[in-house]
Amino acid sequence: MRLNVVLRYVGLVMLFIAMFMLVSAGISYLNDVDSAFYPLLLSSMLTALLGAFPMIFVERGEQISTKEGFCIVVGSWLVACLVSMFPYLIWGGEFTLINAWFESVSGYTTTGASILTDVEALPRGLQFWRFSTTWIGGMGVVMFALVVLPTIGRSKMTLSNVELSSLAKDNYQYRTQIIVQILMVVYVGLTVIFTVLLKLAGMNWFDALCHSMSACATSGFSTKNASIAFFNSPMIDTILIFAMGIAGMHFGLIYATVTGKRNNIFRSEVTRWYVGILLVCSILITISIYAADIYPTLGSAFRHATFQFFSLMTTTGYATADSNVWPPFAIMILIFGTILCACAGSTSGGMKTNRLLLAGKTIKMQLKRQQHPNAVIRIKLDGVIQDDAVIYGVEIFIVTYMLIIFSGTLFGTLCGMDLLTSFSATIACLGNVGPGFGEVYSLGNYAGIPAAAKGMCTLVMLLGRLEIFGLIQLFFIKWWK
Amino acid sequence: MKTTGLRKRLMIGFSSIVFLLFFSGMVSFVELSHLSQDTDDILKANKRNIELAKDMLDAAHEQNIALIHMAVLGDRSYDSLCRAGMERLEHTLLVAQEEALEKSFLDSLAFATTELRLLTDNYLAREAEPRDSLQRFDREGGSWYSGEYERLYGQLTSAIKNYMTSTQSSLAPRAEQMKKNAYRAVTPVLISLMVMIAIVLMLYYFLSVYYAEPIIRINRSLGNFLTYHIPFEVKGNLKDEMGELKDKIDTLISISKQQKL
Repeated sequence: MRLNVVLRYVGLVMLFIAMFMLVSAGISYLNDVDSAFYPLLLSSMLTALLGAFPMIFVERGEQISTKEGFCIVVGSWLVACLVSMFPYLIWGGEFTLINAWFESVSGYTTTGASILTDVEALPRGLQFWRFSTTWIGGMGVVMFALVVLPTIGRSKMTLSNVELSSLAKDNYQYRTQIIVQILMVVYVGLTVIFTVLLKLAGMNWFDALCHSMSACATSGFSTKNASIAFFNSPMIDTILIFAMGIAGMHFGLIYATVTGKRNNIFRSEVTRWYVGILLVCSILITISIYAADIYPTLGSAFRHATFQFFSLMTTTGYATADSNVWPPFAIMILIFGTILCACAGSTSGGMKTNRLLLAGKTIKMQLKRQQHPNAVIRIKLDGVIQDDAVIYGVEIFIVTYMLIIFSGTLFGTLCGMDLLTSFSATIACLGNVGPGFGEVYSLGNYAGIPAAAKGMCTLVMLLGRLEIFGLIQLFFIKWWK
Repeated sequence: MKTTGLRKRLMIGFSSIVFLLFFSGMVSFVELSHLSQDTDDILKANKRNIELAKDMLDAAHEQNIALIHMAVLGDRSYDSLCRAGMERLEHTLLVAQEEALEKSFLDSLAFATTELRLLTDNYLAREAEPRDSLQRFDREGGSWYSGEYERLYGQLTSAIKNYMTSTQSSLAPRAEQMKKNAYRAVTPVLISLMVMIAIVLMLYYFLSVYYAEPIIRINRSLGNFLTYHIPFEVKGNLKDEMGELKDKIDTLISISKQQKL
């Protein structure tokens, strides 16, 4: 493996990140040169220098192997999280070393969990930087860089193949270049549309842009301490429910639907299941909380239940209510949504509906196989026969996912967290959801958990965002032939 | 980035390190200057505050002595000294109000001064009346002093003492600012140093890959050619002057072979 080539591409990603830091510094400058201007400008310069340095020695045009591509993608994620700590650390405030790392990883992995007890105390420049990290992370650090940075030929294919999971590529019938462009068009398009809608619903331009970036990235960062509950507006809730729901769908299918292609969201089996689960679970939670007399009217119960479930299942993590006080039945459904999560090919994290659907079909196939031992039974998804390797991969993924939840919960309790907090924090971080229950409830934050547990959460976030094996492989790169 | 020569690459590499060193030094310098400025401001504010408070206490004391002489001992020659004391007190208060960063600390002092001014003015106005009507007042001078004046004088001196300690109250936010400046002076430097370490490691790696390794390979291959007559061959794609060196050695070997033939 050529480390020099890896360094050059990681450097390109860093230059791209430095550009966003500069934009945030610009926002800071426009807001009467607030206290974030200097930290953002400094960080931008340092990141740009670090990113540009490998280019002095390594020439462009070097073709990259899959192994190198893998190292570039994983390395870029890690380095992006590291350099993005700079503005937080220089600014100070609540950002200690572990807190800055947590906020940075939470942003890029679109988890949206925060260690800030007073988000509103942040200057606008730094707020915008938080939202930038999450917006870049939503699309994928490398994927975003591939679109913006100058063409890098065939390397683009290798890199996007590593960053996009095979499930995510299922619905695309285009070349890599086109796939990347489709992703970008849908992502930017949705962000612009929801910014305008949120502005019309009563937010100011800054809040509208930030919340739209966060919703499209299914992150859950908010400019307010009380998250979306601050606005207390049914119109804003409705727009964000819609935004989160859309952002949880396969972007290729959204593009196909808008451009009138046959292979659209209405024909997708996964999307039908996804929407079905969202609606059924929202209704079940509504009944549960209305029966428990938590909300006076069925309408308000439905509004909060729908918002909370959409928020968790799409891995966004916004909140309009304290779900900690809801009945155990409602909490169990919310936990189910936190584990299941939205569709592959979207900006959401977690296990994904596709995998659950395939797992369900595998169980059905197994039952049939026991009844008809000689029958040849194939598993189909959206009419396409799935390879045994895909089924096997899904099974392994689910088992590993569960093992990580168990290990994370165990570690959390070892650090002194209570069982509910530890369990829900682990599943919320692994699924890149954000809020959990207990101490890390929907209107709370991760400030109070021990530093070691914060470290564990960031590791779990990265594992979840890089589809588990992406990060694990890095430790075994030496044996990769 | 366009291919550059060995010298240019090395120059850019080392310039980056020099830039970072300079940069971190400058950041430290600027932030430590802020820190020094803040410390200086606090010390100056403290000193000035004590000076003004001392002036006010002196003026109040001067007026107090004058009034004791006038009201208690009946010596009316202290009239001008009493007026001068009051004016000095008011003037110092005005200066303190102009210079104060936190004006709320002076509100109670200004109020006490105004009250004392009214009381003193009333007394001096009565003093200016014809002597006959003042005889009764002369007898009651002592009780006026102890009953009315002394209470207001006590309020005034206590307000001046509060003002004197007020800078201590404003120390907390200033100290917080100083702490922030100290943090800001250290953090960017630490980050710059981290970046510099990363750059030095990268520079070492690139120098090793692009320059040290090729020289070792050329040397080894040339040694093999001279000792064992193994054909001169250097693996890998050599760039810059390294590539040229390899090509020139190749040419030299072929010329020497041709001459032998």
